[in-house]
Amino acid sequence: MTTNMAGRRYRTWYAMLLRLYPRPFRERFGEGMAQTFHDLYEERKGARRGLCGFALWIFCETLVGIVKENTTHMPQLGKTMVRVALGALAVLMVPLVASQFVEGWNWPAGAFVGVYVLFFGTGMVFALVARRMDAWSYKAGVGVALVAGFALGWSNMVHVADSGNSANLMYYSVLGVGAVGACLARLKARGLALTLFAMAAALALIAVTLPSGAPPYLARNMAIGHGVYTALFAASGLLFRHASLSESTQTPE
Amino acid sequence: MDIVSGQWVKCMAKRNTAQSPLTPAVLHVLLALSTGERHGYGIMKQVEADSQGKVKMGPGTLYGSIARMTEAGLVRESDRRADPEMDDERRIYYQLTGAGRTALAAELKRYRGVLAVAEGRLAHDH
Repeated sequence: MTTNMAGRRYRTWYAMLLRLYPRPFRERFGEGMAQTFHDLYEERKGARRGLCGFALWIFCETLVGIVKENTTHMPQLGKTMVRVALGALAVLMVPLVASQFVEGWNWPAGAFVGVYVLFFGTGMVFALVARRMDAWSYKAGVGVALVAGFALGWSNMVHVADSGNSANLMYYSVLGVGAVGACLARLKARGLALTLFAMAAALALIAVTLPSGAPPYLARNMAIGHGVYTALFAASGLLFRHASLSESTQTPE
Repeated sequence: MDIVSGQWVKCMAKRNTAQSPLTPAVLHVLLALSTGERHGYGIMKQVEADSQGKVKMGPGTLYGSIARMTEAGLVRESDRRADPEMDDERRIYYQLTGAGRTALAAELKRYRGVLAVAEGRLAHDH
């Protein structure tokens, strides 16, 4: 009785999942797929093997098929958006799962939505900017700059929220330098190299001049943090410089 | 029905004429249908048997492959319908087309060629 109910439930869920296929595909193959799922389920049940793992495998496998069929007709931008949206969802799983186990981690639903938008936005910026050049160093430079910028913005937001020290908002000026520089450079490797070096310099300057007001044990951690971020921005600048140099050597005179 | 883009069909057709490698899923489905008409579940079971349980295809992969193969003219729906008293009459059976047989034969020929090269090389090494 319980197994029948579970079977009916799985079949209903699977039928709902099939609705995510493009309409022409669903109309043509939906019934066959539902029938096949039913056959597989019955076989599994008859063999008295676990149904939960089976259902999970079939659902994941079908989900991959759904993404593939839906992206077949999409223009490239649409495909990129779907990939980034799914990637952002996968990354979001980390705080989502961690919040279930870490005590005191109780974000409201809106915070998860906000974080998802941030992940998606950062991913889209990477996808759109990185494809401007084929050079690996350009793509790596974009990746390192975005990861460092995202982490700096995020940690600063948390720090300001926790400490209430609005002076820390100064750190956002580093991101401002990056945004303005990237616009002025028109995303060209040479200009981006200069922008990232300027960001590293701006951060180092803030770290030296801004009084942290933190106790000594925290000040040491902050100094390490500043060092890491500065190094990441500088590394990104070097990567862009490498891309710029390789571009100039390839350009015919 | 435009399930697969025309570009893909052209690409597939070009691949067939050029006798390029087929994807593993397509090869297994062709192989499963080479002995007769089968419905989706039947194809899956045949693929599993042919590969001695090493390849387990889910409905997403199977029907995605069937959609592409249908558009490329390698397989088609059969007129056969199951006996409603013996089986679910809604089942759709699939069968190989002439192009599908040709593609399978070409792929097997290619495999034999690769095998011959590999065996010759191994024999030379020893």
